[in-house]
Amino acid sequence: MIALLALPLTLLSMQQGGGIAQRLAGRVSPEIASLVEELGTAASARGLPIDPLIQKAIEGSAKGVPPARVATALRLIAMQLDTAAAALREGGLVSDTLAIAAGEFAITAGLSGSDITALARTGAKAAALTVGLRVAGTLAALGVPPAEDIGLVSVTLRSGEPASSLLLLPAHVQSEMARGVTPAQAAAGLARAAAAQARHGPPPGRGTPPPHPPAPPHP
Amino acid sequence: MSGHDFHPLVKQLLDGDITLADLPAELRAEGAEALRLLAAVDRTDVSMPAVTWRTMAKLERRRRRFLPWLLAPALAIAAALVIWLRPATPPSSAPLVTVRFVLVAPDARQVSLAGTFNQWDAQATPLVRIGATGVWTATLTLPVGQHQYAFVVDAVRWVPDPGAPAVDDGFGRRNSVLTL
Repeated sequence: MIALLALPLTLLSMQQGGGIAQRLAGRVSPEIASLVEELGTAASARGLPIDPLIQKAIEGSAKGVPPARVATALRLIAMQLDTAAAALREGGLVSDTLAIAAGEFAITAGLSGSDITALARTGAKAAALTVGLRVAGTLAALGVPPAEDIGLVSVTLRSGEPASSLLLLPAHVQSEMARGVTPAQAAAGLARAAAAQARHGPPPGRGTPPPHPPAPPHP
Repeated sequence: MSGHDFHPLVKQLLDGDITLADLPAELRAEGAEALRLLAAVDRTDVSMPAVTWRTMAKLERRRRRFLPWLLAPALAIAAALVIWLRPATPPSSAPLVTVRFVLVAPDARQVSLAGTFNQWDAQATPLVRIGATGVWTATLTLPVGQHQYAFVVDAVRWVPDPGAPAVDDGFGRRNSVLTL
């Protein structure tokens, strides 16, 4: 009976492995394909995304990187996926593969598990948090230190602004940097502006006006 | 069924085919004994509800015991078919954004773009040189999300985009990052 019920799981695992093999066919060496299949099947069983592993294997092969070095990079990604997933769980988000992949990217860019947890604790929904993690990673890649990076992305996430506002942050930081400001100063300045806007509402002509204060009680 | 083994003529007597008088004299005593035994049989209706209930309950238990064995393979096969036949990766429905890539490389003979959006294929996305300026460009429509890429100069040199943020690629080089 148990064997019968395990059949779908076995097939799922085979399909996962088959999917990986299919995507890697002709692109990577057999030993790297085998390693990706092994790491990918294990990652998938833990609810982790496998796309970062597949992409890194293809990238390594395309760049002519020796298989041993590709294998090291793949194992590092598998660890970072675990770290990102654990950090998100600690922040209250359970099992979202896109958010985990975005968290893995943020770690690659220089952020830590605790930075990811801090963003998850803003209470943003999974989709917004995924964008926030990608943007936080991009800001880190621009040289914004983690404290200012997480401060800026957190305040923007908490403000409830649409994802497009988050996506504009790297361009804003870059334009400030072009004027000679350091990445840290640029991010801190933008975070202060976003916090002030959250307190006082959007500038005239933007967003919905705050609700009227309640009328004073009648004597 | 019984210890008696009656003569065939006596059996005919019991079946009502002949009468006692039709029997030969030496069989009449046996015939009379057979009729006496037959008359002694209790002919009232017999009801055995307990037996019936126990038998039916036993059959039901057996059915219940075997039902999972009959259903489990069917369910397992159905689940396996669903898993096997569904697409491995759902088609992407992410919105698309048009992006222009630019690299200034006056000495390059050819420049292409490789990244997560084209499976890192260095031949898939060539850039076009604009006149003699040394400016190479390509315009792509990419799905919303995050992409990593690099320019490939003269098919051998992987160069990050100088105008974009970059991260370690894990192989000692840098990948440019595009977040849409």
